[in-house]
Amino acid sequence: MRPEKTIYESAIERGVSRRDFLKVCTALAATLGLDYSQSGKVVQAMETNKRIPVIWLQLMDCTGCSESFIRSSHPRTENVLFDMISLEYHELLSAAAGHQIEENRERIMEQYKGEYILVVEGNVTDDEFLTVAGHSALESLKETAKHAKAVLAYGSCSAFGGLAAAKPNPTNAKAVSDVVRGVPIINVPGCPPIAEVMTGVIAHVITFGRLPELDRQGRPKAFYKLRIHDKCNRRAYFDAGLFVESFDDEGAKVGYCLYKVGCAGPTTYNACAEMRWNGGVSYPIQSGNPCIGCSEKNFWDEGPFFTRRAKIPGTQTTINPEKVGLYATGATAAGIAGHAALTAMKKKKDEKANSEKNSSQEG
Amino acid sequence: MAVPVNEKRNVSQSEDQLEKVYVWQLPVRIFHWIAAFSILILIITGLYIATPFFSPTVHTDATSNEMGWVRNVHIFTAFIFTLNFIFRIYWFFAGNQYSRSKPFTKEFWLGTLETIKYYLLMKNKKKHYIGHNPLAELSYWIFFVIGSIIAIFTGFFLLFEPQPHTWLAAQFAWVPYIFGGDSFGVRSLHNLVTWSFVIFSIVHIYMAFRDDWLSKNGAISSMFTGYKIEKKQEDKDDN
Repeated sequence: MRPEKTIYESAIERGVSRRDFLKVCTALAATLGLDYSQSGKVVQAMETNKRIPVIWLQLMDCTGCSESFIRSSHPRTENVLFDMISLEYHELLSAAAGHQIEENRERIMEQYKGEYILVVEGNVTDDEFLTVAGHSALESLKETAKHAKAVLAYGSCSAFGGLAAAKPNPTNAKAVSDVVRGVPIINVPGCPPIAEVMTGVIAHVITFGRLPELDRQGRPKAFYKLRIHDKCNRRAYFDAGLFVESFDDEGAKVGYCLYKVGCAGPTTYNACAEMRWNGGVSYPIQSGNPCIGCSEKNFWDEGPFFTRRAKIPGTQTTINPEKVGLYATGATAAGIAGHAALTAMKKKKDEKANSEKNSSQEG
Repeated sequence: MAVPVNEKRNVSQSEDQLEKVYVWQLPVRIFHWIAAFSILILIITGLYIATPFFSPTVHTDATSNEMGWVRNVHIFTAFIFTLNFIFRIYWFFAGNQYSRSKPFTKEFWLGTLETIKYYLLMKNKKKHYIGHNPLAELSYWIFFVIGSIIAIFTGFFLLFEPQPHTWLAAQFAWVPYIFGGDSFGVRSLHNLVTWSFVIFSIVHIYMAFRDDWLSKNGAISSMFTGYKIEKKQEDKDDN
């Protein structure tokens, strides 16, 4: 299927009714964080915009992001794949393989210069560590990104470096934004990102023809503006001071707040608590697992998980602040006691010396 | 009661030589005690927020808003602390000579060095200071001024973090760039600065009592009355 037809046309061709098409558009508007009154805009965009060619590069990755992507429910993955985009190159999903698919990638880069979207999954490494189809993956990325309309960095690896960048980072793994310049990059962190967020971002670019509003870390604000803590379903237990102390206690059974067992919700920006996973079924905290902050930069080095920690500023070293604080306070108190004792001894000595001096003066 | 002659005479002599010096003006004293009590409240509530150290013992539904109230107290006190801090900046310029500090002078750092020697019980040429000695001033600059600035800015960032679209949040959106890098860094810094206040307070209280005990100058009561007891003919310009 060549991407010349509009999104609406290709949907109708596939036997989607006009009614279902409008439903999809309305759901999409909601996913994008738009007001209901703006769903007309989405409909119009879908009726007039052509399907966008997408090249999806998998660098040093685990295919987890692709796995997440194919489980999107609003919009459904098949709607995205068959109606909105024309997925031209994807190691996991493309039917073609070998020279055929590599040729296709080059053809798209030629034919749709500046129009195609490049999706990157996985991080960038030094040359010797990753070769795809006989090419250095780093070079393929640079070459493909050069004429892309936008780069979508799916997953914490391509957005921030990811697990492979954990200390001591033997492969020199880097984020896409460290390598690619001059092309707008949208970071969609998460390990993996929520499926609806992945499809939602791509839908936004198609609908409006421009990038969504990004925050200071290059993440779309529509999905990453709030912390998980702000919308958490266990927030009421936090406010009530009811906490899980260990994973086998009564509180864990009842569903108390996971703050004390190391939940990273208060410092993690993601939409898990609102959109949830697998079509809105659940998400880690709801299922009783503390958030590990997988969409935050450096979460891989700022462990351990499941205990509350504080990071020493400027480093990735985490400590238990209360333990260290209490030790420091204890050391201070001990120091003061010692100093007070020495002061008292010196005072006594000085007084003795003074009175001897005085009496010798008198004598 | 038999009193040694020389000691009796010493006392009467020194009483003649003593005078009251008005050191801490009323605004300084009010500032001091508001700061002291708000720091105490902020530390206790802050540590509870960081590591909730008490919980209902019976298992209940989420109806009590315990953490909510502790946070409310913490936030309310933080506003008082901030206003108090801003007032002190004004009084730095408006107050008497003892409410000021000049850390950018050679004298200050030489004085600091001598005072460190004095506290290490070494031989020293520490001058007598009616107000604060330079080491005390340095500790206020580091632990109180810089510590408060960190605590206030990181604190307001954390307060407005859940409402990123508001005007107030926009005023503190720059905080992570300077303090801590990201949300976790800001939060960690706020948590760690709490402990620097704990340690500072302990040392500060010890030093105040020690000074009172050694020089019998009424250092403790001076923070209530404003007056210290000093020897006459003291060089009053040395701070």
